Amino acid sequence: MSSAPLDYYGLLGVSRDASQEEIKRAYFEAAQKLHPDKNKAAGDTEIFLGVQQAYEVLSNPKRRAQYDAILSPEEKISLPYEYKFIYSRPSLIRLDEPQMFYVIVELQAPAARQKKSPPLNVALVLDRSTSMQGEKMDVLKATAIQIMRNLRPQDILSVVTFSDRAEVIIPAAYHQERTRLEARIQMIQPSGATEIYQGLEAGVKEVMRSIDSKRINHIILLTDGHTYGDEQQCLALASKLAEKGIGITSMGIGKEWNDIFLDVLSTRTGGSSAYIAEPRDIKNILIEKFDALAQTYADDVVMELTPTEGVELSDVFRLQPEPSPVSLETNRLHLGSILQDTSTRVLFEYMIHPKAVKSEVLAFLDGSLKVSISSQSMPVPLLRFRLKRPVSDSPEADPPPPEIVHALSRLMLYRMQERARKEIEKGNIDTATRQLETLASNLLSQGEKSLAQTILLEVDSLQKKHALSDEGGKKIKYGTRALFLAPPKKELVQ
Amino acid sequence: MIICSNCQHENVTGAVFCAECGAQLDGVQTLVTEAITDEQIEEELRKKAPRPDLDSAPANSWLSLHLMDSGKILPLASRNEFTLGRLSEGQPIMPDIDLTPYQAYASGVSRLHAVVKRDGSQVFVMDLGSSNGTYINGRRLNPHMEEGLNHGDILALGKLKIQILLRNI
Repeated sequence: MSSAPLDYYGLLGVSRDASQEEIKRAYFEAAQKLHPDKNKAAGDTEIFLGVQQAYEVLSNPKRRAQYDAILSPEEKISLPYEYKFIYSRPSLIRLDEPQMFYVIVELQAPAARQKKSPPLNVALVLDRSTSMQGEKMDVLKATAIQIMRNLRPQDILSVVTFSDRAEVIIPAAYHQERTRLEARIQMIQPSGATEIYQGLEAGVKEVMRSIDSKRINHIILLTDGHTYGDEQQCLALASKLAEKGIGITSMGIGKEWNDIFLDVLSTRTGGSSAYIAEPRDIKNILIEKFDALAQTYADDVVMELTPTEGVELSDVFRLQPEPSPVSLETNRLHLGSILQDTSTRVLFEYMIHPKAVKSEVLAFLDGSLKVSISSQSMPVPLLRFRLKRPVSDSPEADPPPPEIVHALSRLMLYRMQERARKEIEKGNIDTATRQLETLASNLLSQGEKSLAQTILLEVDSLQKKHALSDEGGKKIKYGTRALFLAPPKKELVQ
Repeated sequence: MIICSNCQHENVTGAVFCAECGAQLDGVQTLVTEAITDEQIEEELRKKAPRPDLDSAPANSWLSLHLMDSGKILPLASRNEFTLGRLSEGQPIMPDIDLTPYQAYASGVSRLHAVVKRDGSQVFVMDLGSSNGTYINGRRLNPHMEEGLNHGDILALGKLKIQILLRNI
């Protein structure tokens, strides 16, 4: 460190106008992470002393004022990640009717940095109910063994199986005697019903044993069935995990699992659900997920929002890396993680009501972004932002930026199938049929032939049985979701 | 509010794609729309449609289909009868002329939509019981009834418009 005064605000990761309460909270968080009793890493003690010094100065209003006086005013807080906002329009329009407005938030690891792959702390929670018997279980065992062989010495893996009760097959620890553990995986016998809460709870216990902000703490749940009666318990547990920064990825195998439930469960923590159509796909999808976890740059990006009157956040969707809806149940949005080489893009959809566009400028998004970077001991400063757009009387004719057009073209397709599924639930078969046919023709015009075919086959089944097949509904949902990752077609971007 | 030019659905201002049909919306301005009948459009098209150069077609073709949206011309020869429709995977139905590349699905062309045939110097069209109908110059044909075709007629399979170009046989 140079002779310039320490950046106390930066050390604590708070903004310059932070309240005493915020400073206190930031200090406790940093102290827990860095305390020399708990933390033996070289250099951390020095940072801890700096944090302590920062707290002593900033928690005392008099000393804080003195410190603020010597602080160079225009110094920008430096963030260990890059961010960008892309708006659908340069300005809002003064209108007597509601209007839509879109923003893409893009977060990225800085180009110049050391690539450090964080150690993992992952629990694999595997369904071993009777229905898993056969190829599903065989592939799953083989994959679990392969994952264990691929682990790096610093990684921690635990394996839990569940049916109507849970069993810890491999407890969370560093693993030396891998051959013996492989035999334990081999011995898993499918039997019993599916009770997800049992498995999830046991998995959480394992992850909690070695929870550490320097690791990627994650739970991967694999199931092929519906759980009955314990959904609310599962969701409550997911909310707790979200607070602790533990993500859940859920994977459904085959056709008889509840995609809506697993989606809610995962998105509460910033994770997502995945669809495994065939048992043989288990291997690739699971190994890909482990690779992605090892590629994490920043874990658990949380955006905290303050609502603005007349501005309604109607939808939030993560476009990449894993396309998924983002849970809007609270004002703390878990946006997922930032990978080393792929930026994270999240689309925000706003419905802006007439009363919000009376003034010249509208600050429609007021919030802060909290990012924790596992490879860094220093707390990351909170990014506060206030996004504003001018309000004009006449609209601009400029088309929206290509990123927005691409994202919305895909979201439109995804929503068509969501709407069709809702209509089916309500019994409006004709409306749903029309919507699915429109979706199919849109897909055809974008060159997505096989997905369009799947939909047309489902339309036939809809006519006959007044329902989609279990399989078809999932294929369409996850198929349209996967389109977010496809490169934009030329004619759309122009 | 933006009215979708494709399906007339009323979208909220600022939307980029139509929520109903998925068409891209052109602007943020509230568009003024004017009702235009199909007859008017066809009248306009007939006036404006360029008479394509028939000499480029093979000498023995007795009928050329001018696909008006794409400007493509399909010359038909060698046989006296052609079925028109679109291929669909997993279906045993194979039309002689597959219109899939010309937005047949989106235009509402049935898999086996219509047949064109020649009888001496006369050319006929017959609807094969299609879902969205076959039209000559905007008049809907009764299914399974032959109708004569004249040079320059606009044949519509659902919404797919084809200009009939006859060669003097």
